[in-house]
Amino acid sequence: MKDTPGVWHNQAIPYRAEFSLNGDLSELERLTAVVAQFCTGCALDDAAEFELNLVLEELFVNSLRHGGCEGMRDCAQVRMRCAANGVEVEYRDRGRPFDPTSAPNVNIHAPLAERSDGGMGIHLVRGIMRELRYEREGEWNRVTMLRPVATNRKG
Amino acid sequence: MIHVTEETKSGWRVLSVRGRADADAADVLEAALRAAIDQHPKVAADFSALDYVSSAGLRAVIQGARAAEARQVEFAVCSLSPNVRKVFDMSGLHHILRIHGELPC
Repeated sequence: MKDTPGVWHNQAIPYRAEFSLNGDLSELERLTAVVAQFCTGCALDDAAEFELNLVLEELFVNSLRHGGCEGMRDCAQVRMRCAANGVEVEYRDRGRPFDPTSAPNVNIHAPLAERSDGGMGIHLVRGIMRELRYEREGEWNRVTMLRPVATNRKG
Repeated sequence: MIHVTEETKSGWRVLSVRGRADADAADVLEAALRAAIDQHPKVAADFSALDYVSSAGLRAVIQGARAAEARQVEFAVCSLSPNVRKVFDMSGLHHILRIHGELPC
């Protein structure tokens, strides 16, 4: 799906969303809108929406800034599925090989003067998501992960 | 999209930040913080209407804090929503910033 991201639901089919992103920071606005629509459909609360948005922004911006995806059409693909134990997320990009599961840890106790500018986004992804897995599939990086939601459903 | 408005209260320059501090808006936030820090001895960032922050937004705040330290400006971050507070805490910023529940002025 390219220009009209899909989110659908009936009682037999769990909520899903699948969409592509072009290599431009302005795509964050569309990313935010699709995540919001998906979370409404899954009856997820604000915290889940916030964190899914955050995780996908961090991975996407990483693809643009460090993966060489800037300016590339359909450089990233996102799939989300609402499952019994949480939201299953798959993020793929056509950037340079990058494994977020093995990126160096950030020292969050470092004083202000010693704070590094890099690595915080991946630190947040790893802090929020569970079951992170990475593989390189041809020209694609593929990350799969779970955002547990057992305690975050509305109502 | 992010909006920053400013006013002076009891000696503090208060920047009220509304919207989303994402990678697309972080430069606006950093520029506003730096400009205020360049001109005022006490600067407070009121984040009560900040709906969202990512690492890019955190970086803008860290750069503001660094500029404040270099200029010996008092810099306070105030009124974080629970979601935003969680991101600050996960990043360890509560160790290096003055974070207030309410505005200090």
